[in-house]
Amino acid sequence: MDNIYYTESAQFTVFLNKLKDTCKVFSPVVKDPNAKEIDYFYKHAPDSQPPVFNSYRAVEPLKPFFTSPREKITDYFISPKDVKEVTGKTIVLGVKSCDIAGHKVQDFVFLEGTGADNLYQLRRENTILISGDCTDFKEVCHCLAWEILPHPTWGFDLNLSPLTEGYVIEVGSKKGEEFIRQYKEYFVKAKETQVSARKTKRDKLIERLKKHLAPQNLVSKDTVQRLVRQGYNLDTWQQFMLPCVECGGCNLICDTCHCFLLTDEKEGNLNQKLRVWDSCQYANFARVAGGANPLKTRAQRLRNRFMKKFDFFMDNLGMPACCGCGRCIEVCPAKIDIREVLKDLAKKLNIAK
Amino acid sequence: MKNIYQPIEAIVEDVITESPTIKTFVLRLKEPFEFKTGQFIELTLPGIGEAPFTPSSDPNIKDKIDLTIMNVGRVTALLHNIPKNTSLGIRGPYGKGYPLDKFEGKDVLIVGGGVGLAPLRSLLFSLFTGIDKYNKVVLRYGSRTPTDIIYKGSIGEWAKKNKVDVVTTVDVGDSAWNGNVGLVTTILKDLPVDLEKAVSIVCGPPIMMKFVTLKLLDLGFKPQDIYLSMEKNMSCGLGKCGHCRIGSFYSCKDGPVFTYEQLKDIHDIWD
Repeated sequence: MDNIYYTESAQFTVFLNKLKDTCKVFSPVVKDPNAKEIDYFYKHAPDSQPPVFNSYRAVEPLKPFFTSPREKITDYFISPKDVKEVTGKTIVLGVKSCDIAGHKVQDFVFLEGTGADNLYQLRRENTILISGDCTDFKEVCHCLAWEILPHPTWGFDLNLSPLTEGYVIEVGSKKGEEFIRQYKEYFVKAKETQVSARKTKRDKLIERLKKHLAPQNLVSKDTVQRLVRQGYNLDTWQQFMLPCVECGGCNLICDTCHCFLLTDEKEGNLNQKLRVWDSCQYANFARVAGGANPLKTRAQRLRNRFMKKFDFFMDNLGMPACCGCGRCIEVCPAKIDIREVLKDLAKKLNIAK
Repeated sequence: MKNIYQPIEAIVEDVITESPTIKTFVLRLKEPFEFKTGQFIELTLPGIGEAPFTPSSDPNIKDKIDLTIMNVGRVTALLHNIPKNTSLGIRGPYGKGYPLDKFEGKDVLIVGGGVGLAPLRSLLFSLFTGIDKYNKVVLRYGSRTPTDIIYKGSIGEWAKKNKVDVVTTVDVGDSAWNGNVGLVTTILKDLPVDLEKAVSIVCGPPIMMKFVTLKLLDLGFKPQDIYLSMEKNMSCGLGKCGHCRIGSFYSCKDGPVFTYEQLKDIHDIWD
């Protein structure tokens, strides 16, 4: 209870406007209010007053706030310069539980292991994540299948849970704590009734989502690694890749996919290295000089995507590199559905999901 | 904060033609740079691109490194045409390299194919430097034709060394060739090694490594005593870019040298 606050909606709007004086604030806006299923996307300092509270995750993942599809990461053959770029803080409002879970993979890749990617690290340090509970879900949402709740429990700086007149705000980090201290006039300690109202709302949504997912009979976190391993030689890959047009959309929109290529360019007299997002669905992803290519066929590449997500990351990070956001399902022009691929493996292997 | 992607500058001091398709580039480094034998580097052709190579020189030489490079792709084709004194970039070293301590007291069998002798030359230099620590060094090297043999002048010198045994072969001979003819697996018979205390290190094209590994297993080498160089499409070298996955490993960070024991249950490792 110590780290849970409350703010009225009007106060929150003032608070957020105040932040815009010193920080770059991104928050969700509605793409098309007349759409059958509303989509949200992030916008820099949108005009909407009060700010939009997105009921589920935005169209785009969290990763573009930390890496870009194509960007310079270093000059070379000049006297070494410190990596600098970031000016002030960036605030991302409207992040959801799936985004946070998926982003753990990005943090693992870019911050840990052999050394930290400097640009990523600077941006991570200078970004404040203000997440929010989901109050609804999209058809493709299936976070619960991976044991991820539709409200964040870790990995956020501040988390918003909407009540009728305002928000319950939970502090999830030192950064969040400092923020509350700095802007204390906008927050009061949450009352017990407010915290229990939050729980009621959360439980209700979980029940609704469970009802939505039950008939889908999805594969579970405990069986998925065994499935992709034992299903390595099944015809599932061949069957599901048939309509694939190799657009790479599934990877590029994914919260966890992080593959990139380093390329070199000249700008004037300066030599530059660029980090460019890549997709394992592209034909040349694994090709080596001389022409050998361990991922020659679309079936091999589709399987690669699943082996990486459900075998490699289970071994290396103890979690699947899928957060159930369903973005890859929505983006795919061929309607290749990650849920269906896994279910097909389970069916053919006769393994209980 | 040090930028992990920034290469240091190296000047091409000499270019040695090894074969019609292979050249050795001797690079003088502008900043201190050290590597362990078997580790690899990323070589940048400034403003154009980069590619991974394992140095072929003695790691005890600190101010220069040799890279023996075959003309097979976009970057290597351009490299083959650069003049002396060109500036190149080097990042690394990356990966784990050869575990020399595990070879101590052993009969060390080294099997190379084609340009795969390049990283093995660096290993040989390291073994020669500490030759007292190893029981013996046995080199078996195969090339496609006599003109494809690299380090032609050196191989004969190595063969004369104490505790060193060298046999070479070519897939197809020519009129001047009076040595062995046949794939490298044909010179793995009657090896002068004691299997109880032998290790083997293999480097070459995937198809060669596959059949050599099968042959070595046949001869009685244990999977944990067969060391393989798994060179994939390493782009970053840092275990981040995702291109060189082998099962639950990245070749760049967990390899590029693996024991067959580590790889034997992974699908499609020779592709």
